[in-house]
Amino acid sequence: MKPIRSGLQAFAIGVLALAATAPALADKEDFPTAKGTTPTIPGIDSDALAKFGGEEGVHKWVEALFYYIMLDNRINWIFERFGNPKRQIELNTQLETMVLGGPAKYQGASMSAAHSDLHITLTQFNAVVEAAYNACERVNTPYHVCNQLIAALAPFERVIVTR
Amino acid sequence: MKASGSRLGGRIAVALVTVAGLYCANAESAGFFNLNTGKVWLTNGAVITDGASGGGINPWATIGGMETRDGINATVHYTYANLPSFTLNSVGLLVGLWDRVELSYAWDTGPTGSTYDTVGLLTDTINPLLQKLQPVLSLLSPVQLGYLGQLSQLGQLGNTGIEPFNTQVVMNVVGLKIRVFGDAIYNSDNLIPQVAIGGFYKWNANKELLHTLGASKRKDFEAYISATKIFFPISTLISATGRYTSANQTGLVGFGGPDGNKRTFRGEFSVAYLLNKQTALGAEYAMHSNNLHDITLGDTNVTGLLNLVAAIPVVKQVAGSTVSNLAGTLSQHENDWKDIFFAYAPNKNLTFVFAYAMLGQIVLAPHNNGVYMSVQANF
Ligand code: HEM
Repeated sequence: MKPIRSGLQAFAIGVLALAATAPALADKEDFPTAKGTTPTIPGIDSDALAKFGGEEGVHKWVEALFYYIMLDNRINWIFERFGNPKRQIELNTQLETMVLGGPAKYQGASMSAAHSDLHITLTQFNAVVEAAYNACERVNTPYHVCNQLIAALAPFERVIVTR
Repeated sequence: MKASGSRLGGRIAVALVTVAGLYCANAESAGFFNLNTGKVWLTNGAVITDGASGGGINPWATIGGMETRDGINATVHYTYANLPSFTLNSVGLLVGLWDRVELSYAWDTGPTGSTYDTVGLLTDTINPLLQKLQPVLSLLSPVQLGYLGQLSQLGQLGNTGIEPFNTQVVMNVVGLKIRVFGDAIYNSDNLIPQVAIGGFYKWNANKELLHTLGASKRKDFEAYISATKIFFPISTLISATGRYTSANQTGLVGFGGPDGNKRTFRGEFSVAYLLNKQTALGAEYAMHSNNLHDITLGDTNVTGLLNLVAAIPVVKQVAGSTVSNLAGTLSQHENDWKDIFFAYAPNKNLTFVFAYAMLGQIVLAPHNNGVYMSVQANF
């Protein structure tokens, strides 16, 4: 029993230590933080942007993304009411090109500034993720290349989802 | 020792119930009982034969059902594993609450030993042996003759059929799992996994089989802690679970036995490669116990008796290693469980799992490798 008890205690302490760092991470960050790729673990492939078809390919993907977003009744009303498709497509192209390893020239608002008033739920966020995968399929970006972008955008969830 | 084990169990149970209660209270005031299907494809995991969300045999830190934190969902599953000497059917219901709490029930049942006539083997070996020993009986001591007497009684078992082995396993499992912290999906920039704690209470209906195999308990609880994370840059999910248990074959043949009664932590590991958003290919490994050894028919420890008889010099001379081989065949050596699986979700309401399960020896029959199929429907 003794080794089990101390094993359990060690595990519990480890778990609590991890738990304590989790909210701290979520609070202090805003995105995009450092200009450039998101520091994912493991890192995203160095040829991710090239495989996306460069900035032009990313632009096509963002257009497809908004096509699917505007078809999805769970979220299209948010974009109709509060969005600005032309500006968002342009800024998203900049942002996604940047996080995939391209030039750092994103000129829009931070993710928390752009979304905090929208009270976005995780269900709505996931709907955008589904649209992102559909968009990859639409522009024939392979799933594993698509996941490089998903990995790079995933940490934004912590500041975009506020409900 | 036993007392401190159950005290720990009690404490875990109280903690689980308190946390569950807190979340219930929380959600009720927010009116969160909406049906929700917002999870990303496959991130609900599959449903294991213990009824919880996981791979095929290992629970994961994922919460089952397609709901996000914004609502509730439920999943029903049916799993069929066709192994050479064991067929497992598992049906169950799982309720996922706010991607936080998971309640589950599973009913696991199936026949064992359909191709493995253990008692037939016993009588086929014993009766010719006794015949051969007839001329040399005078060389045996009264104690040794006593062993042979017991053995000859076992030799008569032939016409009682093969009941204790060709029988039905029946296990009920209720489960509770709580996601403690972390997010398996969106924390791609740190190593913090999604962590959940959970417990099962399992009760087994086949007393006779458990007696034959020597399991010391029919009912028991298990507790576990799981950590699960998806690494999107390599499209791979990794999960590790520590399960605090004394189960034999996940409890399908009871808990504890002569070679060990204590619950211990056992490791269970899963890895899944995401082929596309609807398909995953993976492998699992689960450490198992080796609590059981001898088999008992009626009041006779058959394996022990065979070992005693095999050790008699005269028997060795007459029968060579036949008896010790039989004793070996009639002893239990539980193996770790392994599987490779293929999970496919044609849409968000449905997941199919096809697996090749490698479960080793089950109820004496070795090499239980075979196909595992599961269908799971979400609301
Ligand atoms: C990782 C996911 C997301 C990314 C990378 C992203 C990116 C962006 C960017 C770059 C902008 C433009 C900011 C600016 O105008 O300066 C923006 C605005 C906006 N986003 Fe998102 N977004 C994400 C998720 C979502 C979700 C889930 C929703 C709603 C369901 C949403 C709704 C909006 C709306 C309505 C605006 C316009 C806000 C305004 O102009 O005031 N976004 N987003």
